[in-house]
Amino acid sequence: MWGALARRGGRGGWRGLAAGRPPAAAAPWSQVVSEAEKIVGYPTSFMSLRCLLSDELSNIAMQVRKLVGTKHPLLDTARGFVYDSRNNLQMRGLVILLISKAAGPSTAELSFQPNMVSGIYSSQRSLAEITELIHTAFLVHRGIVNIGELKSCDGPLKDMQFGNKMAVLSGDFLLANACTSLAQLQNTKVVELISSAIGDLVQGIYYENSKLSEENCLTDDIGISTWKEQVFLSHSALLAKSCQAAMELAKHNAEIQDMAFQYGKHMSMSHKLHSDLQPFVKESSSDTVVFSLNSAPAILHQEFLGREAWIKQIREAQGKGSLMDYKKLQEAIKAGKGVTSAIDLCRYHGNRALAALESFPPSEARSALANIVHAVTRFS
Amino acid sequence: MALRWWWRWRCGASSRRAPPLGSLPRLRLPGPGSRPPPAPSAAMCHFLQRSTILSFPKICNILWRLHHTSISQMCSCRKTISDEKYQDPFQLGRKDLKNLYEDIKKELLVSTAELREMCEYYFDGKGKAFRPMIVVLMARACNIHHNNSREMQASQRSVAVIAEMIHTASLVHDDVIDDANSRRGKMTVNQIWGERKAVLAGDFILSAASVALARIGNTTIISVLTQVIEDLVRGEFLQLGSKENENERFAHYLEKTFKKTASLIANSCKAVSILGCPDPKVHEIAYQYGKNVGIAFQLIDDVLDFTSCADHLGKPTAADLKLGLATGPVLFACRQFPEMNAMIMRRFSKPGDVERARKYVLQSDGVQQTTYLAQRYCHEATREISKLRPSPEREALIQLTEMVLLRDK
Repeated sequence: MWGALARRGGRGGWRGLAAGRPPAAAAPWSQVVSEAEKIVGYPTSFMSLRCLLSDELSNIAMQVRKLVGTKHPLLDTARGFVYDSRNNLQMRGLVILLISKAAGPSTAELSFQPNMVSGIYSSQRSLAEITELIHTAFLVHRGIVNIGELKSCDGPLKDMQFGNKMAVLSGDFLLANACTSLAQLQNTKVVELISSAIGDLVQGIYYENSKLSEENCLTDDIGISTWKEQVFLSHSALLAKSCQAAMELAKHNAEIQDMAFQYGKHMSMSHKLHSDLQPFVKESSSDTVVFSLNSAPAILHQEFLGREAWIKQIREAQGKGSLMDYKKLQEAIKAGKGVTSAIDLCRYHGNRALAALESFPPSEARSALANIVHAVTRFS
Repeated sequence: MALRWWWRWRCGASSRRAPPLGSLPRLRLPGPGSRPPPAPSAAMCHFLQRSTILSFPKICNILWRLHHTSISQMCSCRKTISDEKYQDPFQLGRKDLKNLYEDIKKELLVSTAELREMCEYYFDGKGKAFRPMIVVLMARACNIHHNNSREMQASQRSVAVIAEMIHTASLVHDDVIDDANSRRGKMTVNQIWGERKAVLAGDFILSAASVALARIGNTTIISVLTQVIEDLVRGEFLQLGSKENENERFAHYLEKTFKKTASLIANSCKAVSILGCPDPKVHEIAYQYGKNVGIAFQLIDDVLDFTSCADHLGKPTAADLKLGLATGPVLFACRQFPEMNAMIMRRFSKPGDVERARKYVLQSDGVQQTTYLAQRYCHEATREISKLRPSPEREALIQLTEMVLLRDK
């Protein structure tokens, strides 16, 4: 399981963070989360029961069992839902509930407050669930395998085709459920926002994919600004736009909507940076750390060093074999300015997120949102 | 309606109770191998079933004759409605569909060149644009029905764009699921760019369609068209499973056909009718027309999978059998050749199954009966649309039902 977590860490999923050691000074991650969960009323049981109990998903569960023993990534993803559920606390949903509560009802809505539980509208709870559904759908769709690129070590072709079939179907099923719930919110602006976030997410994942397939090229020649654009699409857009949509559902004005967007955007950027930094800030264990050459510290390292020198370092780490000596490369990056400037960047986004929170009145929920930022910007 | 009539006629059942519109036939018809419980009605049914099987050739004969008379009846009834019988329905809608693909491409705002290329791949103007055509004709027919308006609203045009986008997104995903190699005479997206990217391209087209849908700014329209997305996925799930009982199998097949094909047409017709006319009766007419035409369209598609040649169709034939799917022609043929049951249950997985099943189907009257069933659905569609005030577009929609039956690709 930890192996799977480490692999996911590269994508900067929430799991990567949960798996990391709790920062020494800030409250432990799990504590931040469990306190935050108390604030929003009841535990964030997304992936709604309705969805889990449906014929379609139990059908999938039956079929996915056939994949046990194969190497299809869907199995890993599915395993993650079950074994990882304690750590994988569906943070996006939680953040949306917290910011909904922090904003409270808008003055336009003060006269009547129907459907409010623990200071959160039921429509906002639906939205939190929708966001989780979309995120999960793409975890599943990320795991589609290219049949043409399979090698004999990947096992029988038929298994992989079957795995793909299941992955497309279950991802589509989750997306369709998200669309249906979205339509039920009866707010065209929210539908537009979330739909465009799905488009952003697809484009972001698409960049990840094109990198994966060109692994031979080792690294893309991208600067940190391109990196930021791509990470915004793949990691921030959904949360940022969902936070904004939560404000729209409570009829908050454009300014508050923008602040919620900014919080979602910068918090998830700093989270991504935090998870990218983990291989470089943890006391080195004996295990070989594998990190993405497109992670923030590596990209920043290249910016300082120049592309040619960086390529040279990679070639040296590669040696004669095709296997990369990540330890060596890690030391090279640590010796440069990439790590410190990634930490700076992480704190910069953290501060931007905190600044956005200033627009909300002080409350437990707002403190919880601030604590989340603190947890992802502290480095031991 | 047509279907209920059809089954009742075939089974000799005499139930007068009409199930609600849109429901699928639930028949008590034990398969040849099953033992009926000793209830009198079931025994009667069993008897009827046996007699049906025994006198099968005779019934076929009657069927054929009936089929011809019904066609001539339909034609004669149409003459009374319209004199413009030979008008090309596509001509009428074509002016509204000018720039359809350009408009779709405008919705696909992508920064990466490759992703854009993949998303635009099927919007090359070579598709039939069958769905947008129905949608624009329906929009105009409803507008005229409502207040004799000759204008089409921009939002109605958007529904046509969105319908084609949702359809294409589902094609891209279906091809990954079915591991298909060719479509519309060219390679599939997954063949060229790989499955991983193809799935993302499908997702992107869907998200773009969703954005366009939201911009129409009408929550009812959003709900109606979102239903399509849900049905498409559920239809795909239905296709995974199969039923042991023969009747359940047929109902299952029709339900799958509705969800995978007809729901899109039915609900986009409904959407444009809502935009054009406030009368709920009209919405129901539009929906029923789309539903019936959609089912007929798919039934003919399933027939063409057996009768057309690969070059003409732009995709391989007997594709459904190869995927393990028993479509209309197979289910009908199975009544004549019960040995096909085993093949259906194992989803044509044994070597030689596909060829044998194909042969059985062509020997049987499965193709004719499926075509006949499609005719019944078209007839029903015509009956529904005829409730609207006469207009050239309404006549075109009637004409279109005939083209659905006559198409060969």
